Amino acid sequence: MNSFVSRFASTGHDVELRKAREAFGDEDESLEMWGSQAGFGPLSKGVPSFSVPAVPDPSAFLRLHTDDHADPSCRIKIKHGTTTLAFRFRGGVIVAVDSRATAGSYIASGTVKKVIEINPYLLGTMAGGAADCQYWETYLGIQCRLHELRNRERISVSAASKYLSNLVYSYKGMGLSMGTMICGWDKTGPAVFYVDSDGTRLKGDVFSVGSGSTFAYGVLDQGYHWDLTDEEAQELGRRSIYAAGHRDAYSGNTINLYHVKEDGWKFIGNYDVSEMHYEGPAGVGYGYEIRTAGKSSANPPPEPESQTAQT
Amino acid sequence: MSIMEYNGGSVIAMVGKNCVAIASDLRLGVQSLGIASNFQKIFPVTDRIFVGLPGLATDVTTLHEQFRYRVNMYTIKEEREIEPETFAALVSSTLYERRFGPYFIEPVIAGMQRTPSGSYKPFIAATDLIGCLNFAKDFVVAGTASDKLFGVAEGLWEEDLGPEDLFETISQTMLNAVDRDTNSGWGVVVHLLTKDKVITRTLKGRMD
Amino acid sequence: MPDGSYAHPQQRQFNPYTENGGTILAIAGADFTVIAGDTRQSEGYSIQTRYAPKVFRLTDRAVLAVNGFAADGNMFVKKVKQRLEWYRHAHAKDMPLRAIARLIQTMLYAQRFFPYYVYNILGGIEEDGSGAVYSFDPVGSYEREACRAAGAAQSLVQPFLDNQIYFKNQQLPPGQTRPLHLSLSDVLSIVIDSFTSATERHIEVGDGLEIYVVLAKGRGPQGLEAVRGAQELTTNAEGDRVFIVRRELKKD
Repeated sequence: MNSFVSRFASTGHDVELRKAREAFGDEDESLEMWGSQAGFGPLSKGVPSFSVPAVPDPSAFLRLHTDDHADPSCRIKIKHGTTTLAFRFRGGVIVAVDSRATAGSYIASGTVKKVIEINPYLLGTMAGGAADCQYWETYLGIQCRLHELRNRERISVSAASKYLSNLVYSYKGMGLSMGTMICGWDKTGPAVFYVDSDGTRLKGDVFSVGSGSTFAYGVLDQGYHWDLTDEEAQELGRRSIYAAGHRDAYSGNTINLYHVKEDGWKFIGNYDVSEMHYEGPAGVGYGYEIRTAGKSSANPPPEPESQTAQT
Repeated sequence: MSIMEYNGGSVIAMVGKNCVAIASDLRLGVQSLGIASNFQKIFPVTDRIFVGLPGLATDVTTLHEQFRYRVNMYTIKEEREIEPETFAALVSSTLYERRFGPYFIEPVIAGMQRTPSGSYKPFIAATDLIGCLNFAKDFVVAGTASDKLFGVAEGLWEEDLGPEDLFETISQTMLNAVDRDTNSGWGVVVHLLTKDKVITRTLKGRMD
Repeated sequence: MPDGSYAHPQQRQFNPYTENGGTILAIAGADFTVIAGDTRQSEGYSIQTRYAPKVFRLTDRAVLAVNGFAADGNMFVKKVKQRLEWYRHAHAKDMPLRAIARLIQTMLYAQRFFPYYVYNILGGIEEDGSGAVYSFDPVGSYEREACRAAGAAQSLVQPFLDNQIYFKNQQLPPGQTRPLHLSLSDVLSIVIDSFTSATERHIEVGDGLEIYVVLAKGRGPQGLEAVRGAQELTTNAEGDRVFIVRRELKKD
């Protein structure tokens, strides 16, 4: 409560100090900003501080100008990410994501990297606000490295996800939008944690996040079991994102597939959703009308060429 | 949530040298969910006139049947086929009849118009949802991907394109524009009208 | 939003943002980058000025184009230039391009709760000599790409660029291959065509066009000699070079 008051109050002695500092030189000019701490400087001291508009209700202000679910005609369209999934199985963790970013109904980009490589053995996915995910997962990378330096051992997936979850919880209600899965392999084996900007942090085996998650779950749930082989698991991840990319208007373009093993993550490949529809990864397309061509009365097989001459 | 964007879909018509082309996507969706990849939005009115109806899907069906009725009545009374310019006026008045509760469609008309000398010249027109006519000389666009279609068409179109070149131009315009729109796509159909035949081709487009 | 009805209490508040129109784009080549923007600044149906530059030279290897709310854009460029100057004093060299990109992310994200209403495109030459384009959203998410258009006419220009730069939806006859990279003169033609098309079909685009070309160190000026009116802005003869080309656009 007190931190709230000190952050948002407009009268009081420390507020006068803050106003004086702002009038004669703001946070940009502090010594931290010179060196490599740069944009993450205020964070390494512990409590992050962002400037907030001097209005009675800052989160309503932000929602008014940026939230395009409430008001699609708002001016500032923040790029939203869309279908991501991660599941753990005998052979590690499979992470599969699409690569589309939309701003309203305009497809802003088809080449977004929604898997953030936090370090060589931890991956984070991006869904919701792209900037929130990119920025805070970079911050998480900093915290993981500091943990390694302080404790002389790799950070566990549980601790890493908790750093992130506690951080976003301190901004709860202010308008961050983030739904991410922190995936890795630590002392306890493969692990996937779902963390979102409401403050939820869940450990689980199978997660899918984003507008296309319902389509991905459909394929994922019917094909999942613990004893999948590596190829089967990768195929399941790829096929699930294809399903979402095909049906969901806000997902698609390409699939990025990663596999986390004991020694770290490995990038398996980038697959175009439309190519998966027509050709598939191994010659048989995933698309319904491709697989069922020539098998129904509405879509009969082509007539065989006549071999004998007419008499 | 706009009514015009509920089902999605886009149409474009372009003029060439003694030919005209009209193309649409094939998607029918319900906001973000794609339902059908074979939803027809371009209908033949006569042998030489095609009308494209992007917008709310229920009105696509309703308007198609309304126009079929009115054009049939015209043919019976006039004892001749309707001309494109007349059909455009028919479309405009049909839409304005519903001025205060409109059909959520922005029709695009493409056809070959008979000239007094007996040959045919290309004709395109578009209207807004209450019937304001736009007789363009180059191309007309409508639907959720309309601004993307404007951009690509303006870059690729030039005057006096022959039938095959016009087909390539309109196809590239349609395919690249709908790839930047979430509510259009899932296949493209192109109708190319020349003075003596109509060639219809379905394009392989992105299915996401 | 207040709607004028008497049904419930209403309140109007000062809106700190407005839209000033215009369009910017950037295309990266093998050893060059082209960054362009129109010069019209409008508000609603009025033109505020026919010449308000949106593309700024940061260093001999980096050019920043800003679009959206002009006041935020101009202020943001000033702050970026200031941070680059501090870096130069602290480190005795210019900031590499990908570092400038990360800097822009953190500067934008610092205003996450009162965003700069600016769409940024940073173009220039990377440390390895390749052309690079980085595009940002107003709160800092960024990505390196080969080409990007932003602004009022972005939905008109970007699909045209997809077709002409990435050759999307274009299938080659079997046996043929296409060249890996486009030449500078091809790219300049595509840029000018994009802006003339956007000017035709979008009311907020027009008046004038400024194209900045950044060439990698050691790459000769081929492709630029034939261009009328190219003016060099390079300050240091040893490194990458920056040129500007100005063209007129329709004023209606």
